[in-house]
Amino acid sequence: MKGEKLRSLSFFLSPMIAMVGIFYLIPLVFTVYISFTKMRNWNTEKYLSEIVGLYNYQRLFHMFQHDPMIRAILLTTVVFVGITLIINVFGGLLLALGTFFINESSASSIRLLWLLPRMSPIAVYSLVWYYFFHGSDIGTLNSILLKLGVVSEPIPWGQITPWGVWSIIIFVNGLVGVSFGMIVFTSALNQIPKELVIAARVDGASAWQISRKILIPMLKWHFLYVLTWQFLSLLTTYPHLFLLVEWDLVNRDYGTTLALYVFNTAFGRGEQDQGLAAAAAVLLSIIGIMGGYVTLKVLQFERMIHEPRGDVE
Amino acid sequence: MKGKFGTVVILVVLFGVVASGCIGGQETPETKRTTVELSGDFVKDAVAIGKVLEENGISEVKFSAWGSGDPNSVMRVHGIVEAARRINKIWEENGINVKIIITDKHYAAAFQDAYQEYLSKQPLGQAGDFFVNSYAFLPTLADEGYILEITEYANAYKSVIEDFYPSLIEASKFDGKLYGLPQDTEARPLYIRRDVAAKIGFNLEGIEEKVKNGEFTWGDVYQWAKKAKGSGVAEWGLIHRKGSAHPDLIQFIFAFGGKLYNEESKKLVVDVPAIYKWFYVEWKFAQDGLLPGDIMSWDWAKQIHPAIVEGRTLFDIGGTWYWTEWQTKDYYGKEGTPRPIKPEEVQKWFAYTLFPAGEKGLQPVTLSQPFVWMINSKAGQQNPKYEELEEIYHELAFLMIIKASDPDINAIHSVISAHLPVRKAAAELISDEKWLNDLKSLNLDLDQEVKDNLKDIVATTVHPINAKFLADVSYMLEYTKFAPAHPKYPALADIFKEALDKVLRGDMTPEEGVDYIIQKVNADPELAENVEVIGEIPKDWQFP
Repeated sequence: MKGEKLRSLSFFLSPMIAMVGIFYLIPLVFTVYISFTKMRNWNTEKYLSEIVGLYNYQRLFHMFQHDPMIRAILLTTVVFVGITLIINVFGGLLLALGTFFINESSASSIRLLWLLPRMSPIAVYSLVWYYFFHGSDIGTLNSILLKLGVVSEPIPWGQITPWGVWSIIIFVNGLVGVSFGMIVFTSALNQIPKELVIAARVDGASAWQISRKILIPMLKWHFLYVLTWQFLSLLTTYPHLFLLVEWDLVNRDYGTTLALYVFNTAFGRGEQDQGLAAAAAVLLSIIGIMGGYVTLKVLQFERMIHEPRGDVE
Repeated sequence: MKGKFGTVVILVVLFGVVASGCIGGQETPETKRTTVELSGDFVKDAVAIGKVLEENGISEVKFSAWGSGDPNSVMRVHGIVEAARRINKIWEENGINVKIIITDKHYAAAFQDAYQEYLSKQPLGQAGDFFVNSYAFLPTLADEGYILEITEYANAYKSVIEDFYPSLIEASKFDGKLYGLPQDTEARPLYIRRDVAAKIGFNLEGIEEKVKNGEFTWGDVYQWAKKAKGSGVAEWGLIHRKGSAHPDLIQFIFAFGGKLYNEESKKLVVDVPAIYKWFYVEWKFAQDGLLPGDIMSWDWAKQIHPAIVEGRTLFDIGGTWYWTEWQTKDYYGKEGTPRPIKPEEVQKWFAYTLFPAGEKGLQPVTLSQPFVWMINSKAGQQNPKYEELEEIYHELAFLMIIKASDPDINAIHSVISAHLPVRKAAAELISDEKWLNDLKSLNLDLDQEVKDNLKDIVATTVHPINAKFLADVSYMLEYTKFAPAHPKYPALADIFKEALDKVLRGDMTPEEGVDYIIQKVNADPELAENVEVIGEIPKDWQFP
């Protein structure tokens, strides 16, 4: 019986196990291996077998110790990940709850509107904010403020360190990230039996009370998932930041997170240093795993997966 | 009957065996040629290669061409298309039934992106057979074995190679070996607005000579810039390019007698006195409001170029290609809707000189970043029998870049994109009025597809004024410097840019800017290993 169960389990799980193995485990092992080689310029024939031990890690730690930018970068990483994470998770939750209580056609329109940043090509979306926040009078925001007479000189938003820079990068990324939480929470809310809400309404509960007492407690799983996923995503994301820094919209020191710093060091300066990038990826993965573990601990993941207590005779 | 029949069969078989022995046994089967010895006679070599291909059953040779750069530099791809047509014509005239077809014409706007793409796709066998890009990337590509060494082929074509300017051939080498042929080069003049200068009594008569002789230095630039701004004639005294400090702003290092590379140690150099002086000059300009402190975040199309063409600055550090770019892009917005400026307006408004010496007693400079035709080390791989005919495909690819370097192809590219010719014969063509008129009317022996692609660019750029400009700035190549073609140079140039940005914004003093560069270099052990820091910040140096 046990063997049969194992066989059927294996049968049903094998596609997923194969996917995880091919697309996650093998690349992970390969990344760890490359981090110990001199791999660069995509030249596998020449460098893939050239083992350099801990050289890439030593080089990385040396940079972390001596680069004059590093303090700003670490600070930016903490602030950017922290604040954007709060915006993404709670913004998504608020949007989902907000659209839950209005009629479906308006709710769909609002959700579509919030999905636009995610659906836009990164370059186009970044270009919009580049011109919006540009620090001269060609910037949309500055030209509006100048026309209204609110300011007499254009404000170089992206050069006001640190909070001007942080505000822009958090705002631009937050707008993109908030839709992810919104979708997950919306689909979760739609699974909650309507009777519960109707009963509460009959009892005279307000929307706030229904959210607090019924809906939010039932979203704990989803909340945990969105929080962990977004944390890992923000820790390793850099496409929007890359463009805003590259186009000189924002100050380089306070617009660069650890992920972007590593990308620019390994790939952004005429060289393609895959060995160094792999070492950085391993480090970021370790930070991610630790962060994910802490998140699960704080939100008491184990308690959530306890089997429900049945009545014991 | 049966026996007779059997005897006949045996006799026929025996005869067949003997006969086949006589026919086949006397000679060995003919081996097909897979290479030719290049002679330097182009037609003869092309015919020989064509015949070898034909003998091997090849009737079609597919190549792809990858180029990149400004919108007017499309000859970086179409030069290859035209070279293919010219070789096809030779084969046709000599009854050779082989044809070159250019399958993929890939043109990217940013040459750095094109390089990254080539780098990642070459090992996979997916990169272009011909690749035009900056000489700065050549050492890495050569070192990785991604491009073809053509030294031996070039030895057969000495007469063509000698027509190129020697410094450009040197820039196409790595480790003493030739890896490409120059495609274009440029200079980076200091533009001066004639109308603004006239209003402040700045006489531009003979200014080129004064700069050439080192009489007019950056101290003078500062004084006139101050006058232009102070008298309210111009909003700015100086505007310059943004982005990586390579290759534009490092002219300051050379103008102050500094260096960037040590030939002996093969290391990059952080020349502290020269960099300090560069930073101090720019800092002083920015502090006095003569140069925007945030110039590094200015927008090219909406701020930098409009400020120059609308006469809102007296000086501009630019490039030769600006000359035709201003005539094709809508930068001039003084009359309402932005429009390009006319050749006559460019000529009337702008004087141009070398980049002045930093101070008295030093030399003026300019800086070039030649682009080079390179051949993929796997060139021809998409064709049949590649393993067998690799050498012949490579020889043909070499002939293609020799053809793409024909004086008229090079001259067309120079005129329409305001780059400088790389061959003396091309320079002569540019000064030939009849040829220019033929180009204007596209009355040239060119592929129809190439003509169609050039039509609009030719209509706006081919003008005697532009040809005269190219002739006028050609002398600058005698003063030109090259940034070091070192794999770590882009990283160092990026650090220069970061430091300069901080200095211009007033976040750092020039001294702090220099310290920042040294700290950044030392933060990366691999970079530090490739860079040497020389000299100290001068104690009693003054500017202006």
